[in-house]
This record gives sequence, C-alpha cells and structure tokens, in this order.
Amino acid sequence: MKTNHIFSLILFIVVVMLFNITPLFAQEEMTKDQWQEQMTSYKAKQADLQAQVTKLNADIEGLKVQSSKLDTDLLTCEDALYAMLGVTRADVEAFDKELAQMENRVAELQRMSDAELVNYKDELAQLDSRIKEMAQSKICLIPRYGDRVKALQDKITALMNSIQKEKTYTVGTWGQDRDCLWNIAKKKDIYANAWMWPKIWQGNRDIIKDPDVIKPKWVLKIPEGNELSKEEKSAANRYYRNKAAAPAEAPKQ
Amino acid sequence: MGKISKNVVLALFLAGGLVLSSCSNTPSDEEMKQLNDLKAEVSSLEKQVAEKQREKAALEKQVAEKNGKLQQCQSDQEAVKKGLGK
Repeated sequence: MKTNHIFSLILFIVVVMLFNITPLFAQEEMTKDQWQEQMTSYKAKQADLQAQVTKLNADIEGLKVQSSKLDTDLLTCEDALYAMLGVTRADVEAFDKELAQMENRVAELQRMSDAELVNYKDELAQLDSRIKEMAQSKICLIPRYGDRVKALQDKITALMNSIQKEKTYTVGTWGQDRDCLWNIAKKKDIYANAWMWPKIWQGNRDIIKDPDVIKPKWVLKIPEGNELSKEEKSAANRYYRNKAAAPAEAPKQ
Repeated sequence: MGKISKNVVLALFLAGGLVLSSCSNTPSDEEMKQLNDLKAEVSSLEKQVAEKQREKAALEKQVAEKNGKLQQCQSDQEAVKKGLGK
C-alpha cells in the first residue's frame, strides 16, 4: 500500500518534470501577462507615432506653401529691381555668367608666375578693358554685382602691375649665396630655369662685361619673358664657343 | 496491481491537468500574430517619422534660403534706388 503511494508520487513528479523541462529546450515562451504588457506598450507607441506623422505632414504642407509663396515674392521683387534698372532678367543672367567666367580666368592667371604672366599681357589688357565697360553697367548698382566687379578690377590691376614693374635682383656673395648668373636664373622667383642666364647678362650689359664676373651688391634688372631672344641666344653661343676654346675657370666675383 | 494502475492513472491525470493549466497562460497563435503585426506597424511608422523629419528639415533649409534671398533682393532695391538717386 505504502509502496504504491510512493510509486505514484514518483511517477507524478517525473511526468510533471518531463512536461516542464521541454520548454527549457524550446524558445522562451511569453506569458499572457507579458503579451498584454507588450500589446499595451506597442499600441501606445503606435498612437504616438501616428500623431507625429500627422503633425509632420501638416508641417511639411505648411512649409511647401510658404516656400511656394517665397518663390513668387522673390520673382516679383527681382522683376521690380530689374525694371528699376531698365534691364531684363536675361541681361542680368548674361552679365552674371560673363562675370563668373572672367573671375575663373583671373583666378587661373593669378596662379601663374610673373614670367608666365608676361605671355598673357594682351589677354590681361582685354580683361581690363572689358571689366571697365562692365563697371559702367547699371547692373553694377546691385551691390553684389558692384562688389564683384570692383574686386575683379582690383585683381586685374594687380596682375597688370606685377608684369609691368621692373624686377630686380641684388647680388649676394659667392661664398654665402653661391650667386652667379646661372644660379640666379635658376631661382624659383627669377626664371626657375638656369639656361635663362643669358637674359640677365644681356639685360645688364651696362654693368656685366664678363658673364663670369658679377659683384656683390650689384642690382641686376631681371627682364620679362620665359624664353631667350635671338640676340640672347647668339650671345650665349658666343660665350660657350669662347669658353670651349679657353681652359675652364671657377666663377669669379 | 489494480490499485497500482489506478494510482498511476490518477497521477497522470493530475500531472496532465497541471501541465494543461500552465499551457493556457501563454498567448495563442492568433494573439502572437496580432503582436507581431503591431510591432511591424510601429517599425514602419518609425521609418515614416524619420523620413518626414528629413523632408521637413530640407524644406526648412529651403525656406530659410529663400527668405535670405528675398531680404537680399529688398535691400538691393533700396541700394539701387539710392544709386539711381530716387
């Protein structure tokens, strides 16, 4: 009798344990309470998000209306502005386009060295004359165009000045500066090309009698250009022929 | 022997009852589907909100730029009036 009870109890425990262990191997199951809790939380989130979407849609609509009204107002304002100046929108657009092209070109010219710039002297003169014409246009009464034209005019003037002013170089000592015509011509701010030395020689014939002899503190003119003229080339050839005939010497100062 | 099987049947009934009563505490498949659908809708709404916020920000920027241009145009009008000596 007693054994029967014990056997039944053990069987009961085993069956209950078997049923309760299986969920441990399966995915953790949600209880009804947890389900209810999540449903409530997600429903609240859904309601909140729907309200946000509704508000955002209204805001977006409002902004679209505002944007479109601003477009109309801006067109009206610009038309009135151009009418005051007696010009059309197309005139202003063409002016703006030409000005932008000139600004780009001047920016390119500004990146050039003075020696390179000399080759664009004519173009600079044309740009200068065109910008002066543009400065007379009524469109320049619009401050943003007036300012741009003025700034461009200043840049063109600066470029023209930089090629017009005579460049000079004061000779240093051989010991300290290693200054000879070859080395001077090689300098980045002179010609950046040592083979241009005859240009300095020919441009300073009044003081340089022998190209191998230059003295410290001499102020040499640096002629414009980035290639040798016919005369400079023949002077250089004469020098090389003489040099070949005579034994080599170190530069003298 | 008869007593043993009687006790076994009783134990099995009791255990089964206990297990069944614990099973009824989990949500049904229908309820789980309801929850998953709700989650999906919330996720889609979150995406919608983010998209609308981006659209709104872009429009606000556009409106601010246009306002700036309009103010510029109005001040240009004043400058031109002065320049023309009106």
